Amino acid sequence: MKKMDISTILASAIHESKNQVGTLLYQLQGLKESIPESDSKNKKITVIEESLKKLNDEWVEYLYLYKLASDGYQLHVDTFSIDEFLDDQVFALLGSANAKNLKLTYACPENLMGVFDERLMTAVVGTAVYNALRFARSSIEINAAIEDDYLVIGIDDDGDGFDNNEEEDLVESNTGLGLYFAQLSANAHISKGKSGFLKKESSPRLKGARLAIYLPQ
Amino acid sequence: MDSSDFANKKALLIEDMAEARIMQKKMLSDFGFQHIEIAMKAETAMELLKTQSFDVILSDYNLGNGKDGQQLLEEVRHSNLIPNTATYLMVTAETSIEMVMGAIEFQPDGYITKPFSQAVLQRRLSKLLEMKSRLYTVNKALDQKDYDKAMEEAKKVMEQHPSLEGKCQRVIGDCLLEKEQYEQALTLFGNILQDRKMPWALFGEAKACFYMGILDKAENKFRQLMLDNRFFVSAYDWLAKIKTAQKKHHEAQSILLEALQRSPKNLLRQIHLGELSFTIGDYLTAEMAFRRAVFLAKHSCYNTSGVYLHHIESIVKLAESAPLQSRQKEQFNITLKKIHRYFFEEPDTRAKTYSYQLELALLEKDLVTAKGFLKLWEQEAESGEATAPTDQQLTHYHVAFGEQNEENGH
Repeated sequence: MKKMDISTILASAIHESKNQVGTLLYQLQGLKESIPESDSKNKKITVIEESLKKLNDEWVEYLYLYKLASDGYQLHVDTFSIDEFLDDQVFALLGSANAKNLKLTYACPENLMGVFDERLMTAVVGTAVYNALRFARSSIEINAAIEDDYLVIGIDDDGDGFDNNEEEDLVESNTGLGLYFAQLSANAHISKGKSGFLKKESSPRLKGARLAIYLPQ
Repeated sequence: MDSSDFANKKALLIEDMAEARIMQKKMLSDFGFQHIEIAMKAETAMELLKTQSFDVILSDYNLGNGKDGQQLLEEVRHSNLIPNTATYLMVTAETSIEMVMGAIEFQPDGYITKPFSQAVLQRRLSKLLEMKSRLYTVNKALDQKDYDKAMEEAKKVMEQHPSLEGKCQRVIGDCLLEKEQYEQALTLFGNILQDRKMPWALFGEAKACFYMGILDKAENKFRQLMLDNRFFVSAYDWLAKIKTAQKKHHEAQSILLEALQRSPKNLLRQIHLGELSFTIGDYLTAEMAFRRAVFLAKHSCYNTSGVYLHHIESIVKLAESAPLQSRQKEQFNITLKKIHRYFFEEPDTRAKTYSYQLELALLEKDLVTAKGFLKLWEQEAESGEATAPTDQQLTHYHVAFGEQNEENGH
């Protein structure tokens, strides 16, 4: 038998699984609509729904990670209104935050524009927020600003910060994988000879951890 | 945006999987859409688009065995079956999105990745409709092919909505190309590229260079685009055009063959390959290309007799060098039947069809059949059903029949 590349096999297996998650989500949505909103079962279904959505987002992250690592990702940058982009991200992730009784907000200057790959940055922000959901005490904020020639997208929380438990997690849990993915995604953004990067900081506003993604403009 | 905004809009939903189709149709009705047409495959969608107009098109990328969503989009955009003012939203999977984003030339207004919830679809759709309404005056002018007006409106929109600057600049550049103001187009695209490497701007530059006859430079730019975007197959078509202009027909042919290996279902490319192969006398490739074109043409906007006639003509050409194999003869008859069924009302098509049948009979030394065709042709020419054979054709036939034409007689 011809020897096959195990990472390619895994990537296509992930893709298959992801499709099944998609089908489950559709079926769940149908089920949810057949139950009155006041029913307590409805709440349980929402929890399952959120978990499946997170699973789907993780599969997407792994697929992109595979593509980025094997130079198979085709970057498609475009200009976006940051206000709209962050609003979209909060909209998509608010359910997960609410399920944990956490506040999720965004902040950015009005009329801020940025150039980046939307799919990739959606996955990166999602990964960062899912991570912050594990450590935040009460709130998470996604924010953006222009610093020099970089668009900086930050994910801040009010947890204990990187110095403490989050850093220990890097090797043990999939946080490390998530960070690696974020880093590859930032690196893939190149403009005028400069490429993107990550900074792990402490949050000046929320006093917890801050992951800042620098994207050259 | 509330549901009343959707109520007076007409939607077309194209999705091959039953479960997803039912779900999406329900979502659209919940949003307030009152007119929703459904197509299970691209071919059906094409028929609907030919006969009705839609405001919103929600199409899956994956549509089963026929054309995919991107091919459908390219065909309807290319033939102006959908106005620029309509909203086209493509539903993709993680694997297919690259084909959509890499297409550069014909892109949907937006895309949404499976799986999505009702809330996400509603949000996407509302935002897209809002964007399209901001660009309405620009797109209206484009639909009317009033390029000056489109440029003027694009400048206004750009000033009011900075987030639409890229889209507006692209419209202005493309309008300059339409107006054949290539120098200005080149400057505009060049300025964009100085700022950032946007594929559409590089594509614009490449086209401008091509039209200005700076073929080497155009070629370099198209090759760069192909390097940057593996899924930008149209670049092959442009390269083939460049090679044809440089009279390097064989190179053009192999470029098209390569592109067709990647997307064999592209009808225009098959036709192009057929025509090119004809000019270099490669009738075997021409026959193959036109045979596939005939197969693809039926459910497309390019279903004209020309494709079919070219196919049988290429088989006649093959018969000139060697007796036809039974398979080729069969192909000839299959396409012939289709011509009879769809195009025999056209006098020119009739005349051409008879001329090829007659020629084939002559090559097969079947004089009785050949004479029979000529008789039939002349009868129909008299009644006006077919265009009459030309003098040149008549002379040729009479010589071939071994008859002495009266003018040439004793």
